[in-house]
Amino acid sequence: MKKIVLTSILCAGFAYGDIAQLLEEDKRTFDSSKYIPDISLITDFSYVNRSINDDELSHLGLPGIAHGLYAEHAHGGSNEATYNANQGFNFNYAELILSSSVDPFFSMDATLHFSGEGVEVEEAYFTSTALGNGLRLRGGKLLSNFGYMNAQHHHYWDFGDMPLVFESFLGTHGINELGAQAQWTAPTPFYLMAGVEVLQGENEQMFGNESYKDGEGEAIIEGSTAPSLYVGYVKTSFDIDDTTIFGGLSYAQGDSMLDHSDDHEDPHVFSGDSKLYGADLVVLHAIDSYSSIKWQTEWLSREMDGTQYNLDPTNITSILTSPSINKKQSGLYSQLIYTHDKNWKMGVRYDTIYQNDITGGEENVPDDFNKYSAMIEYHTSEFARFRLQYNRNEAMYNEDGRRQSLDTIMLQANIAIGAHAAHSF
Amino acid sequence: MRHILSKMKKILSLLTLLPLSLLAHLNIAVSYPYIGALTKTIGGDDVTVTVLAKGNWDPHFIIPRPSLISKMRNADGLIMNGAQLEIGWLPPIINRAGNPKTMPNSKTFLNLSHHAKLINKPKSVDRKHGDIHPDGNPHFHLSPKNILILAKTVEKYLSNIDQDNKDIYKKNYANFSKVWKQKMLFWKKKMKDKKGLKVIQFHDNLAYFNREYGLNNIGTIEPLPGIPPSSRHTIEIINLIKKEKPCCILHDVYHSTKTADFISQKSGIKVILMPHDIQSLENIDNLSALFDHLTSAIK
Repeated sequence: MKKIVLTSILCAGFAYGDIAQLLEEDKRTFDSSKYIPDISLITDFSYVNRSINDDELSHLGLPGIAHGLYAEHAHGGSNEATYNANQGFNFNYAELILSSSVDPFFSMDATLHFSGEGVEVEEAYFTSTALGNGLRLRGGKLLSNFGYMNAQHHHYWDFGDMPLVFESFLGTHGINELGAQAQWTAPTPFYLMAGVEVLQGENEQMFGNESYKDGEGEAIIEGSTAPSLYVGYVKTSFDIDDTTIFGGLSYAQGDSMLDHSDDHEDPHVFSGDSKLYGADLVVLHAIDSYSSIKWQTEWLSREMDGTQYNLDPTNITSILTSPSINKKQSGLYSQLIYTHDKNWKMGVRYDTIYQNDITGGEENVPDDFNKYSAMIEYHTSEFARFRLQYNRNEAMYNEDGRRQSLDTIMLQANIAIGAHAAHSF
Repeated sequence: MRHILSKMKKILSLLTLLPLSLLAHLNIAVSYPYIGALTKTIGGDDVTVTVLAKGNWDPHFIIPRPSLISKMRNADGLIMNGAQLEIGWLPPIINRAGNPKTMPNSKTFLNLSHHAKLINKPKSVDRKHGDIHPDGNPHFHLSPKNILILAKTVEKYLSNIDQDNKDIYKKNYANFSKVWKQKMLFWKKKMKDKKGLKVIQFHDNLAYFNREYGLNNIGTIEPLPGIPPSSRHTIEIINLIKKEKPCCILHDVYHSTKTADFISQKSGIKVILMPHDIQSLENIDNLSALFDHLTSAIK
């Protein structure tokens, strides 16, 4: 009881400000404020104008690859909006980033993603700092190091939206999973790193292991045991004068269980095994301290092999047919970014998905999905940037299988306060 | 449990000590070329130095190239400038390398700013005043006096992690200090008639140099630290120059001199390029050459 009273007095103290008057001298002696972790808050707002209205847009997708890319999709009870989901103003997020050493052996980092949908723990992991020999272990909720941009947060991207191939294969958050990661940097004069990850495997677009159940919790389609996603990669880099070349090869393999039972016209569940291959290449030429040219390309290819359980639209607990299905899909993005000085940055991006071979399921699906983007950014300082972006999206199809060209203009404000953010390459 | 813990501690400390005692040859990573030169001077043949940043780059903005991770991973220690000069690029490299010998607060990690007396410490820290350094001006190496203090710091650091060679480090320091003190007298003489001169800079890089030789910085071309020049502030500077009559604009090598040239044209005062580190200009390949150049630059 005493404790509760004391705590409430303390809380009142915080609320009314002057804590120093409330706490006696000896209590302040044990002040721990010096141990407060590095804190920063990053907010992202955008103004979006599209040539297709929101209602119509939610019915567009990439046949055989992704449903309703722009819709707020509800899965397993959690609502997750894509960035820049609505026409007009969007509050994309306020990200609270905390980071500190734990003890001489570990550090801890967390990224809490606040948005209109609530709070999501985007990342919360501990990392070893004392193993040496190039070895580093990490555990918790993390962004996989698969490919180049998967491990980067939205605020570090050069465009306000994700590359088409990433978004349609893996969703807006990429491979963002609970799991463990081991990385080893080789004792070579050039950069060479290899890593493996064991992940829970709950990606909505490509992986999953949860059984498909009826109303009583009885499994209709049996899932698998987690963890069920395994990732491995090798990355290397070297410099030629002021030019840095960075390349990587990645592989992910896991069980898939994709629940599309809420699809009104064509409810189905896919269960099977999926493989994802990735190759990335980044060439950065530094002209001087502030000016550079960066060319960044990533290629993704996936193979999904399993069974498509087509459900009865009037009773989604009954399976009508269950054909075997095999999907081979590949795409890439390539972008060129020119940083003029501390204030101005501009770039173009080309997105494509050029392979969409499906046997056993939807026949005659298109296999030419393209998107073109251009952007210009103004930075008032390292902590605030404003970006104007234009997208021409020729990858979206309506439910009748007709291509719908989509033009988007986007004005984005990305503002950071608090601890100085230092980004890795 | 306690027994296992103490055993683990022993193994851990053994693991960290082993490479040091086995290999007399130390590989020390340093952030900037001037630290490399100091470390090489004191370390001599017993120390290899790996410099991370290039001397002609803005020390605040270094691209965190992955090759730097490998250099950090393979190092036996790290010496950095500190005072937040490396905050935008070094932390991710240290983290990615995961090398306990280059982690802050390890015995083999040295933050030079903790051993120099920093000036211009801001009274209040707020980014509306620009990208300021809360601990004070971090460009403390541009003072021959401080170079001597830093050399002593490096000597202590090397002796501490490699006690077998501490006599060599002591001797190297003594030799360096003797020569350096003579040079300091020479530079002082050269700068004697410059005392009291007013100067303009792009960014207050030369705060310690100016203080040592009695130069008086009256304004900077950037309106606030880290904020690029604005036309309004440029006009203010031109008016200030007309009123205060400074001798010249002392300009760093990495910012564009476009605004400085414009100011020079309007006000008639010279723009002088001032190197901030070794390699920042072609002919500057050692510490003496750096100060020889700096003390001869103002004619």
